[in-house]
Amino acid sequence: MATTTPDPTETDCPPMDFGDLKSECVAPRPSIMGQKRSLRSILWLSFKGILRGLLTTLSYFRRPSTVVTQQYPENRETLEMFERYRGRLSLIHNEEGEHGCTACQICERLCPNASIIITKDKKNEATGKPALDQFIWRQDTCTFCNICVLVCPFDTLEMTGDFESSVYDRRLLVFNLNEYAGPTAGQLDKLEDEELAKAQMKPMKKYQGPVPMCGGEMDGIPKLDVEKSTDV
Amino acid sequence: MTVEVSSLKELVEQASGDDRSPDTQEYFVNMGPQHPSTHGVLRLVLKLDGERVLRCIPVLGYIHRSIEKISEHMNYMNCVHLTDRMDYLSSIMNNWAVSKAVEEAAGIEVNSRIQTIRTIFAELERIQSHQLWWGVLGMDLGAFTPFLYGIRDREVLNDVMEETVGARLTMNYVLPGGLMADIHPNFVHRVKEFIKYFRPKLDEYDDLLTNNVIIQERLRNVGILSAQTAVQYGATGPVLRGSGVAFDLRKDHPYGVYDQADFEVPVGTIGDSWDRYWVRVEEMRQSLNIVEQLLDNIPPGDFLVKKLNSKIKIPEGRYYSQLETARGVLGVFIASDKKDEPYRLHYRSPNFNNLWCLEPMIKGDYIASLIGAMSSLDLVIPDIDR
Repeated sequence: MATTTPDPTETDCPPMDFGDLKSECVAPRPSIMGQKRSLRSILWLSFKGILRGLLTTLSYFRRPSTVVTQQYPENRETLEMFERYRGRLSLIHNEEGEHGCTACQICERLCPNASIIITKDKKNEATGKPALDQFIWRQDTCTFCNICVLVCPFDTLEMTGDFESSVYDRRLLVFNLNEYAGPTAGQLDKLEDEELAKAQMKPMKKYQGPVPMCGGEMDGIPKLDVEKSTDV
Repeated sequence: MTVEVSSLKELVEQASGDDRSPDTQEYFVNMGPQHPSTHGVLRLVLKLDGERVLRCIPVLGYIHRSIEKISEHMNYMNCVHLTDRMDYLSSIMNNWAVSKAVEEAAGIEVNSRIQTIRTIFAELERIQSHQLWWGVLGMDLGAFTPFLYGIRDREVLNDVMEETVGARLTMNYVLPGGLMADIHPNFVHRVKEFIKYFRPKLDEYDDLLTNNVIIQERLRNVGILSAQTAVQYGATGPVLRGSGVAFDLRKDHPYGVYDQADFEVPVGTIGDSWDRYWVRVEEMRQSLNIVEQLLDNIPPGDFLVKKLNSKIKIPEGRYYSQLETARGVLGVFIASDKKDEPYRLHYRSPNFNNLWCLEPMIKGDYIASLIGAMSSLDLVIPDIDR
């Protein structure tokens, strides 16, 4: 704002016509000090207004049941989140530990801030179809917008109620969601040989492959085997 | 590299210069960007003479996240979730504004169930926004207790919305062409419970703040914004209505199902902080009325018009759409070049225009009045910068 700019409040402007805009709901003016009253009347009215507020607060001492404070870290065991709560993303695994992700990458394409990275095995030996290798989720950039859950054609993603995700190192917020690399539960069921199906499920750790923690050493976190570069 | 803010420097030199006289000097004080009363990273450069405010120059840009530019590389479904981060206290209304603009431009007709649910959520969101504002206004003026009361009631409402939406602040519930999820089976019941709970609480609000003489004296005749100045500066929402102009898009250009609801638009008389305070408190009552009327008649239907469409293509051209958020008119301008992402997306945010009303309001008044006047504007800073 340069000094030469004229002050807009002082410029000449013709009186404006606001048309027939009217409302029946007009604000009252507070009138304790506004009108001609004796000093005693003003003091009494002011005192009364303040006293009413004080009595409101004091009345809550008599009604302790209306206190709503939750003692959060203490009530962890009983704390229940709503079923639709959008917390940590998770890839749904059935009882046998099999997931339903076909690595179609729709969630990756529609993720607004590239928080999902999917690597896939282009042709699985046994099934002959593409299979999931890694489902990398970046919690550090995720905005929990729920679009990945919404667009997944196989309903294999869900937002869980887990909201306690603080860690001491932000690299720990990037991890694999899948417990194994391999075909989906449906494709594995089609394989008649159970041994062959088992062999397709290569176990995948939480931090493994091209996620930032791989190869890194931290207190309490074992060193992981690295195959590819750590830059994701 | 040196950065010179030449205009401010000139102002400082002009004010003090070579003046060495013992009289009072005009001087500059920075209020913010890290000031608790500015509710965010807003910097106000104040030109003071003693305790009088001679000029008040807002300096923006401390929380610019280039939401408009990022949106140019996103499809319309993804554009929506960024608007949560603009005016985070009316996120569903922001979502709706973009969805409405896209629907109007692409010619998508949404059924009345979607419109009704959107309207109910918008009104609930308006209530929770005003609840927070009410608490914060008390805190700005030195009363800490109202803040706890406002937050307590907002928590009840937040839980109601969280059950359906799944998020508490950045909701991202409305999509172009529908909603992200249908309402929760408990929703209607719980909203009714909330209305029953909150009506008596509004009288409690009156006991705590409205009837308090200290609050009245700190708001009355402070920060007067005439109707003419408010219109000139493009102020909207409760700020404009507090100045006595009964302009409300919900009445004047009804969208959603507002035309089915019976409600009044509260207005002020002279446009001081008290009028704006009263208008917002009354708006909470009116919003409760709207929700109560619509709640029993949610028509049956789908919550999404057809299959989820992430590749909505808008015909070439320019489109503008607007609606009334808790703070005023949010306009969405889309310039499209036939692609599924906007060529240019611009938001006309209400807080940006309301902010500039601060200077004509507070000129010549005490610095202590500035806090109350600014609080009565109900600014959300991320909405100013986007």
